[in-house]
Amino acid sequence: MDLRPPSGARRAEPAIPQSRLRNFSIIAHVDHGKSTLADRFLEITHAVDARQMTSQVLDSMDLEREKGITIKARAVRLEYTARDALPYALNLIDTPGHVDFAYEVSRSLQACEGAVLVVDAAQGIEAQTLANVHLALQQGLVIVPVINKIDLPSAQPELVIEELENVLAIPREEVILASAKEGRGVEDILEAIVQRVPAPKGDRESPLQALIFDSHYDAYKGVVAYIRLEEGTLRQHDVVRLMASGAQSELLELGVFRPQLVPVPRLGPGEVGYVATGLKSVRDCQVGDTMTTAVRPASRPLPGYKPAKPLVFAGLYPLNGQDYPLLRDALEKLHLNDASISYQPETSVALGFGFRCGFLGLLHMEIIQERLEREFDLDLIASAPSVEYAVTLTHGRGEVRVDNPAELPPVADIESIAEPWVKVSIVTPSAYIGALMELSTSRRGSFLNMEYLDPERVLLSFEMPLAEVIVDYYDQLKSRTQGYASMDYEEIGYRPANLVKLDVLVAGEPVDALSLIVHRDQAQTEGRALVEKLRELIPRQMFEVPVQAAVGSNVIARETIRAMRKNVLAKCYGGDITRKRKLLEKQREGKQRMKRVGSVEIPQEAFLAVLRSNGTG
Amino acid sequence: MAPDRAIAVRAAEPSLAARPPVALYIHVPFCVSICPYCDFVVYAGRAARGRDDQVDRFVRALANELELRADDLDASLGSPGSPSTRPPLRSVYFGGGTPSLLPARVVGRLLERVQARFGLAADAEITLEANPGRDEVGDLAGFKAAGVNRLSLGAQSMDEGELRRLGRRHCPQDVVAAVRLARRAGFSNVSVDLLYDIPGQTPARWQRTLDVVVELGVEHVSAYALTLDDLDAEGVTGISGDHLPLRSGARRWRERARLEQDEDQAADLYRIADDRLTAAAVRWYEISNWAVPGRESRHNLAYWGRLSYEALGPGAHAFDGDATRRWNAARLDAYLAALLPSDGSPPRSPPGGSESLAPDDVAGEAMILALRTRDGIPAGATADVGVASALHWAEENRLLEARSRGRLVLSLRGRLLSNELFARLV
Repeated sequence: MDLRPPSGARRAEPAIPQSRLRNFSIIAHVDHGKSTLADRFLEITHAVDARQMTSQVLDSMDLEREKGITIKARAVRLEYTARDALPYALNLIDTPGHVDFAYEVSRSLQACEGAVLVVDAAQGIEAQTLANVHLALQQGLVIVPVINKIDLPSAQPELVIEELENVLAIPREEVILASAKEGRGVEDILEAIVQRVPAPKGDRESPLQALIFDSHYDAYKGVVAYIRLEEGTLRQHDVVRLMASGAQSELLELGVFRPQLVPVPRLGPGEVGYVATGLKSVRDCQVGDTMTTAVRPASRPLPGYKPAKPLVFAGLYPLNGQDYPLLRDALEKLHLNDASISYQPETSVALGFGFRCGFLGLLHMEIIQERLEREFDLDLIASAPSVEYAVTLTHGRGEVRVDNPAELPPVADIESIAEPWVKVSIVTPSAYIGALMELSTSRRGSFLNMEYLDPERVLLSFEMPLAEVIVDYYDQLKSRTQGYASMDYEEIGYRPANLVKLDVLVAGEPVDALSLIVHRDQAQTEGRALVEKLRELIPRQMFEVPVQAAVGSNVIARETIRAMRKNVLAKCYGGDITRKRKLLEKQREGKQRMKRVGSVEIPQEAFLAVLRSNGTG
Repeated sequence: MAPDRAIAVRAAEPSLAARPPVALYIHVPFCVSICPYCDFVVYAGRAARGRDDQVDRFVRALANELELRADDLDASLGSPGSPSTRPPLRSVYFGGGTPSLLPARVVGRLLERVQARFGLAADAEITLEANPGRDEVGDLAGFKAAGVNRLSLGAQSMDEGELRRLGRRHCPQDVVAAVRLARRAGFSNVSVDLLYDIPGQTPARWQRTLDVVVELGVEHVSAYALTLDDLDAEGVTGISGDHLPLRSGARRWRERARLEQDEDQAADLYRIADDRLTAAAVRWYEISNWAVPGRESRHNLAYWGRLSYEALGPGAHAFDGDATRRWNAARLDAYLAALLPSDGSPPRSPPGGSESLAPDDVAGEAMILALRTRDGIPAGATADVGVASALHWAEENRLLEARSRGRLVLSLRGRLLSNELFARLV
C-alpha cells in the first residue's frame, strides 16, 4: 500500500464529535457479497473517487482476489451525511474471511460496536458466519442483519429470514433486504448503522488505551499499526509503548484510512486510524496488543491479547538446495509482515536444508507457500503438515511439545501423548448428513449435536483431533457435499490419544521427512500404503533394498526393491559417441538430483510424490 | 588378447591435437525395407529400388564427399603416404542401411578412390555389412574381389518367430546359406549381429540362436540389446539432426514392444551369451562384442580407443582423435543437394554438426570408452579424486576387477551395470 498522502489530500479532517462515530465490521461468508457492499459504501460516501476505484478495494492483495477471500483486515473511514442531515464518521473494519484467522477476526470485532451480518439470499447462513456472529454477540456488538443478492432469481429471502429468526433469534423486522450489486438497500444499511450501532464510549482525558487490530510493515516507516482508541487521545510525536511486547517508539505519523492513509494531527477515543511506529518487526506490535503512551501509561492493557500461535507445522524446503539462502531471506521478509508465521532452520536427510514453519492453519500455510513461490520465485516442497503434540515424558521429566514427527522422543521415554482437539461446526443441506457423519467418524470424530436451521439445512457439530482436520478433511467435506457444506472449527484443548510414530526405513535407514504421527489403529494401513508407494517410486539400486514401515522397533509393513541388474548402453551406435555421451550425461544429471538415504539414492520426485499423496489421503 | 599394436586401446591418455584418420566409415542409407527398431539413417522403397532410385546419385555424391574430406585432410595434415602425418587407413567399414545392396563394382570403385586419397594398409580390415535375405545379401564374391575382406551379417536371430516380430525379411536358413556363400566366396572373417531382449524371446530360444551361430563357426559375434529409444524426444531428429524422425508405425511398434521387454531377463540373456560364446572360444572383448582371438574388429576398437576416424554418408560420425567430433545430417535430399549441386557449381560439404570436448571431458570419455573393452584401464591411472572415488565405488560394488598387468576391467556384472559407473565418470 502506498503510504504517501495523495497530492492535495485534506490534511485536517472536519472534526466529527465522538457521539457521531460508528465503528462496525461486516460478517459474511465468502462470495456472499461483502466486498461489493463495501465498494458501494465507498461510492456513496465518496471515499474513493471514480478514478481510484478498482473493484473491491478492500481486498488489495492479488492472492486474496484470486481466492476470493480477505486475508488481512483492512479499515476505511466513511464520512456519511445521514438522513438527520448530520455528518457521521463510519469506520468499517474489515475481517479476514477464513477460520485460520479466527483470532484476527475476534480482534477486529473487539474494535467495533456493531457488525453488519450479510447473508446471501440464495445460499443462507454458513457455518463460519454463524461462528463469527456468535463471537460478535459475545462481545456485545449490535448486529445489523442484511439479506443480500435479493436480485437473484434463486433468492429465497423469506427462508433466510426464517433461518435468522430460528438460529440467531433475529427479529424479522430488523432484517434489511439488499442487492449490493444493484445498490438496493445500501443507504438503508448505512442509516441502520447510524441509528442502531451505539457511539463509542471513552474519555479523551484518560490514559491512552488503543487496540491494535492489524498491522503491516513498511520499508520506510517501519511497522504501521492499525488501531482503535478505547480511552485517551493520541497525538503526533507521542512516545508510545506496546504493553505486551514492551516495545517503545516515537510516532512518525498518525492518520486515518480514506482508504489511502491520510495523516491527521490527533486521534480521540473511539476513533480508528493508523500509526507509523518506526518499529522494525511486526513481532513488536502484534495484533491484540494495547498501545499506550510512555509518559502516562494506562494501568492495565485491554483484555483478550494472545500472541500469534501457529496450529499447523510443516517443513518447507527449496527444491533446489542452492535456493536455501533465498528461502531464508523470503521468510524473513514475510515474517516482518505476518507475526503469525514461525520458522526455524531444519535439516532433513531426504530434503536437505529447509525451515520448520508454523502456520495458523492449512489455508495460511497454502497462502504462505504460494507467496514464497510467487513473490520470491522459489520452488518449494512442504513436508506433511503436523499439529503440535504435548508429550509427557516418563519418570516425571515433564512435558515437551513436538511439532515434527521426526523429533518425537523414543517410545521408552514417552509416558503419554496428547493432541489438540477442535470442535468442528458444519452447515450442510440435510441430504449430506450421512456422508458427513461417515467422513467425520472415520477421522476419529465424535458426533456432538445436530440442529435444523430450516427444513433443508442443518448445523452439525463434531469433536475431532485437529490432526485429522488438517489432512484433507475440508477437501473431502466439499467433495462429498458437492461444495454445499461449509465448516468452521475452534480449539477445545488437548486430549490424550493412543498415538505412535510411524517411521519409514529404506535399507534400514529412517527417512526423516516421511515420519508421521498416527493413531495406533491406523498405523498398519498407513504404513502399508507408504511402503507400497515407495516401492514403486524408488528406482532399483545396485543391491536389494528393503522398504519398511515401523512403529518403534516393530516392523509393520515391508516391501523389497529388487537389485538393479542391467543398465548398459549395449546398442549398436556405430561411431556415434556423441549420443552415448548425451545419454550418460542425462543419467549423471539424474543421479545429481538424487537424495541419499544411507547408501540408497532416491530421486526427489519420489519424496514429492509420497508427500503429495499424503496430502490428499 | 593380442590386439594389433597400432589399434591397441589407449586408455585415459588424451592426445594433444587432431590426428590423421586410421579408419573410415561409409554409410549406405538404403534398405529393401525398414525395421521398426532401427535408429540408423535408412531409406527404403522407391528411394532404394526401382527405376527412380537414388542409389546412383547417392554413390556420386558419396564419391564427391570422399574427395572433399580428403582435400581437407591434405590441407591440414599433408598428402597420404607420408607415414608420420598421413599413415594409410587400417580399416574401412561399409555400414548401413544395407551396403550389400550396392553393386560390387561400385564398392570396388569407392575402394580405389579410398586407396588413392587416404591410402590403405596392405593388411587393412575392409568390412561390409550384408543382410542375409536372398534379395539383400548381394554379390559376395564380387565384394571379395573388390577388396572387401570382412563380412558382417545382420542375422539378429536364428528364430523364425523372432525374426518376423522384428520385421526382418530373412529366415534362419538364409543366415546359414549366407555364411556358406561367404565362405565359398573366400571370406575368412565373418561376423554375425544378434539381438537380445526381443519381445517374446525366452532364454531357451536365445540359447538355440547362440548354438546355431556357434555351429556356423563365425569369427566374430556382436550381441546388442534391443534398445527402443524415442529419437524425437532425444532431440536428434531435427532438420539438421543426425537421425531421421521416427515414423509413426515404428513409434507404435516400439511402444508395444517395450511393454514386453524385461530387463531382468535381458541380464540373464547377456550372461547366457557370454557363457555360450566363451565356451566356444569366441572371447568377449567389448560390451557387445565377442571374437575368436585376433579377429576383434579393428574398426570397432578404433571407436573405443579414441583413434581418429573419417566418415562419409548421411548421419555418419567422424572423430579427429583429439576432442572434435563431426557428423553429417541425416537427410538424404540435403546431402545430395550439397554434393551434387543442380546448378553445376562445385560440390559443397553436406550439412551437419560438430562438437569439441573440453579437456576435462576428454579424459572421462577416454576412460569410459576404454572401460568398455577387455583391456580396461591401468589401475591408478588417475589423479582426479572424483574419478578415483568412482572407480573405488565400482570395485566395492563388484563392477570392476583388477586383472593381470595392473589393469582394471569390468566384471560380467559390471558390464551389465556399466552405466552406473560411466555416469559417474562422464
